[in-house]
Amino acid sequence: MSIARVAEPSGSLQEVKEWGLDREDLLQIFRNMLITRGVEERGHILYRQGKIPGSFYTGRGNEASSVGVAMAMGTDDVGTPLHRDMGVHITRGVEPWRIFAQYMGRADGPAHGKDGNVHMADMNLGLVAMVSHLPAMLPVAVGCALAFRIREEKRVAVAWSGEGAMQRGDAHEGMNFAAVRQLPVVFICDNNQWAYSTPTHLEYAVEHLADRAAAYGFEGVVVDGTDVLAVYREAKRAIEKARDGGGPTLIENQTLRMEGHAVHDDAFYVPKELFERWAERDPIERYRTWLQTNAELTDDEEDEISGYVKKLLNDSLQRADESPQPDPETLLDGVYATPEDLDTPHHK
Amino acid sequence: MAEKTYLQAISDGLREEMRRDQRVFILGEDVGVYGGAFKVTLGFQEEFGPWRVLDMPLSETAIMGGATGAAMMGMRPVAEMQFADFVSCAWDHLVTIAAKQRWRAGTPVPIVLRLPSGGGFSGGPFHSQNPESSFAHIPGLKCVCPATPEDAKGLITAAIEDPNPVLFFEHKHLYRRIKGEVPDERYVTPIGKARIHTEGDDLTVVTWGAMVYTAEEAAKVVDASVEIIDLRTIMPWDTQAVLDSVRKTSKVLVLHEDTRTGGFGGEIAATIAEEAFEDLDAPVKRLAAPDCPVPFSPVLEKAYIPQVDDVVRALKELISY
Amino acid sequence: MATGTAVDVVMPQMGVSVSEGTVTKWNKQVGDTIEADETLLEISTDKVDTEVPSPASGVVSEILVQEGETVNVGTVLARIGGETGAAAPAAEPPAAEPEPEPTHEAPEPLAQPAAPVAQENGKSFVSPVVARIASEHGIDPSQVPGTGSGGRVTKKDIQAFIDSGAPAAPAAPAPAAAPAQAQPAQTPAGEPQLGESFEPMSAMRRGIADHMRKSLDTSAHVTSAIEVDMSRVVAIRAKLKKEYESAYGVNPTYLAFIARATVETLRDYPYVNGEIRSDKIVTKSFVNLGFAVELADGKGLIVPVVRNAETLNLLGMAKGIADIAKRARDKQLTPDDVSGGSFTITNPGGYGTFHGTPVISQPQAAILGTYAIVKRPWVITDDNGADAIAIRSIMNLTLTYDHRLVDGALAGRFLRDLRERLQTWGESDY
Repeated sequence: MSIARVAEPSGSLQEVKEWGLDREDLLQIFRNMLITRGVEERGHILYRQGKIPGSFYTGRGNEASSVGVAMAMGTDDVGTPLHRDMGVHITRGVEPWRIFAQYMGRADGPAHGKDGNVHMADMNLGLVAMVSHLPAMLPVAVGCALAFRIREEKRVAVAWSGEGAMQRGDAHEGMNFAAVRQLPVVFICDNNQWAYSTPTHLEYAVEHLADRAAAYGFEGVVVDGTDVLAVYREAKRAIEKARDGGGPTLIENQTLRMEGHAVHDDAFYVPKELFERWAERDPIERYRTWLQTNAELTDDEEDEISGYVKKLLNDSLQRADESPQPDPETLLDGVYATPEDLDTPHHK
Repeated sequence: MAEKTYLQAISDGLREEMRRDQRVFILGEDVGVYGGAFKVTLGFQEEFGPWRVLDMPLSETAIMGGATGAAMMGMRPVAEMQFADFVSCAWDHLVTIAAKQRWRAGTPVPIVLRLPSGGGFSGGPFHSQNPESSFAHIPGLKCVCPATPEDAKGLITAAIEDPNPVLFFEHKHLYRRIKGEVPDERYVTPIGKARIHTEGDDLTVVTWGAMVYTAEEAAKVVDASVEIIDLRTIMPWDTQAVLDSVRKTSKVLVLHEDTRTGGFGGEIAATIAEEAFEDLDAPVKRLAAPDCPVPFSPVLEKAYIPQVDDVVRALKELISY
Repeated sequence: MATGTAVDVVMPQMGVSVSEGTVTKWNKQVGDTIEADETLLEISTDKVDTEVPSPASGVVSEILVQEGETVNVGTVLARIGGETGAAAPAAEPPAAEPEPEPTHEAPEPLAQPAAPVAQENGKSFVSPVVARIASEHGIDPSQVPGTGSGGRVTKKDIQAFIDSGAPAAPAAPAPAAAPAQAQPAQTPAGEPQLGESFEPMSAMRRGIADHMRKSLDTSAHVTSAIEVDMSRVVAIRAKLKKEYESAYGVNPTYLAFIARATVETLRDYPYVNGEIRSDKIVTKSFVNLGFAVELADGKGLIVPVVRNAETLNLLGMAKGIADIAKRARDKQLTPDDVSGGSFTITNPGGYGTFHGTPVISQPQAAILGTYAIVKRPWVITDDNGADAIAIRSIMNLTLTYDHRLVDGALAGRFLRDLRERLQTWGESDY
């Protein structure tokens, strides 16, 4: 029994224009998705070359879900993206060289070597660094929205989780509170069907996680997470609704995690047919086709874009490689904050 | 007897207890089909079925609370936090109910909580911690930290047998790196008893977990006879073994991978100072990680986790005091 | 086009707990060209099987690990020599150990213990275990050679000192003598003859033997004796005893009276309280009064010291003596308690003997011996000048003195004055 609304797929160029996207925006979306995938593919190679320590996680298959939502955010909005949401960082303006430096634990990564993977964020870009205890970020995003509400600012917080993370109490407590106070927060659930090796039927019992929104008192929407424009449309609606005081929305973007939980996991437990089926719905390829069909994307334009992406990644990698290893003397720096640390746009 | 890795010893011990006692069951994330994030429970679900090896939702509360309730009803659950670091999500049920139910309400809670802990491989702040001191501090909980494959199997057996909540800290860095002889038959390593890893006369090193091997390497390098005590259990810890050794050598280094301030080494050092003051020929020394989260970058992590050179330096200072 | 340095290809760490990997297939051989990121080999680990992309473009110059071999994470598997690729600059594999040793020190231990050990004279700092061992064996740690930091005496040092036959506390070595580690030169004892049995000499016994020999070799021992009529002291003591015990919990022993009188007398005879140090005569404004105490079971002697005895009245003296006696019995004496004496009183008369010639406790100049108080018939002169026989409590005193410093006449006068004080002890004298 489904309660949440199921979103329509993306429409024509005309409809898209009505939501506020011009052609340049559409190409930017494409670029962002390509960069996202490119960064992760390069990282995957670096990892297997032994250049990236620790573990390596990608969000392959989640490019539309992440880029689509991020494109719908306002400049002053904030978000708590997780490890499948590299697209959010790219779209918000994090430079790929800093991401590579982060992966490799270098001094110029946003975490300066102290944390790895995608545990990074640039608060100036409105991004809060994630933790491994994923659902813990959800009440934090709600807290950001609380600040906006108290100060009556027209800003929105976007909280990301996966379908696994949605099963912790944090998720429920965060959503309930947001609903009670009608806070300006949008909950994005990246449902990629597998939490490490745990399939959805062992994770939850409702038909759609978006159905739970009704239990808290707000709207839930189920979206084809591989359709970037549909994602954009629903995210934009929800974000503007929140901005206008309409309270939270839970958007469930449905995708498939196209790789293992991390690079060291070959996902033997995922039926091969599932991979095959969802490969046909690869978000980048879908969008490419849409652009060609609806926005007259030319071969030249495509070449220019792919050439740009390739150069960007190569340059970024080189620059990241020149970043020095962090100095052990800095190990204890920042355990405690100083008053200077409070000098950020968020503390005005 | 067979040579096994530390991981294999834990796995075998678990499996044997599950075969022996139908009440024993496992619950955790990815423990069934996947065989566990580190493959400790590989093949278990095939043998014991999906109701004795439960693939749990992503919910430490469900795992911890679920284990507590089941244990109250006569089961012998072995719950797993995928990484020790995630135990913070299970804090409430562990500390509020499991730890206190016997004392205040007469209801024992015989659970085992397996906690893959420790760093040394760029796991970062959330995959590398050693939280044993937080739980040693909570009355009602027992905490064990085996360092050898033989002790790993003996202590998992002991933990399952024990009618109290036992936190089993298995050091991830030892999983496949350490191999040792492990008896084939069932045996129980006593909880609360230390083991002399190496005998010596000049200095005592009190330690546990992966640091046992770091101490061992350092001891080879210094010009002194170093006695290394592997505590094996942090709570309750073998005060007698430590004090006997301190009385013999009069110089002691307490070494642990957890951070220094509030780390369990402080308790050990205070006890030695109180009980063996007249046997000390030097101040009680502690060596531990500095007071910050575990860093990700290999260069920083090396500066964080006590290295062989750090231990050598500390030993030399003690020797020359 | 410059020739780049060779780039290492290492076994990657595929996951947190993985420590090794097996090479399953080389896709290239030595001499083959390869592009950066092109698959160079395939590996298998406990977690996953995967391909390893080449870190650089160039020619495969070395293959170091063969198919089927299992190696630790970070092991160099191969090298790519030649030109550097455009895309992938050679980066250090973080999993290997090429990082320079960080200069960062291990977390510093908490503040080092108080300065004593860092000072020049490390001997002023005595660790708890050394203090305990010193007190148990009656050793003055300052006499033990120290090999610890700053010259500190370590546990090993004092144990070695004991094992090698060190003198007990009273034997502050003669100034000119070598440090206290005496090894008595002796011929080996051989085997017990018929009727003989051997027992080992304890550290204390050896200490005493050494001390006695040294003292006799140092000072010119001469003894003078005098008889003292202690009747007045006996009577006064009888009166005070009850009061002292109930009010102060202390027994006013004869020794306390004698000690009190001795200290008063020493004021007038500084040489008797003095010392020869090298070529100087040392006199002191204080009297640190040592009392020879026999240890239980004939284990030996210890001489605890009541410091600044010149400031004590009878009650204070009685208390001071009781305190050190108790602590000596309970083995709670500190090194300070058994060092620094300027004069010693000993009681060879404990078993009824009336004369003795004790050995001086170096580096002091004299030692007073007390003997049994015995009721004897005594000639007294009454107020009319007539002689009569009375029963009196008579006690002998001996002063054994170092004739290098104290001449016989001086010693005689000392004893005369001491006797006078004891024989004319006033009821109100304290």
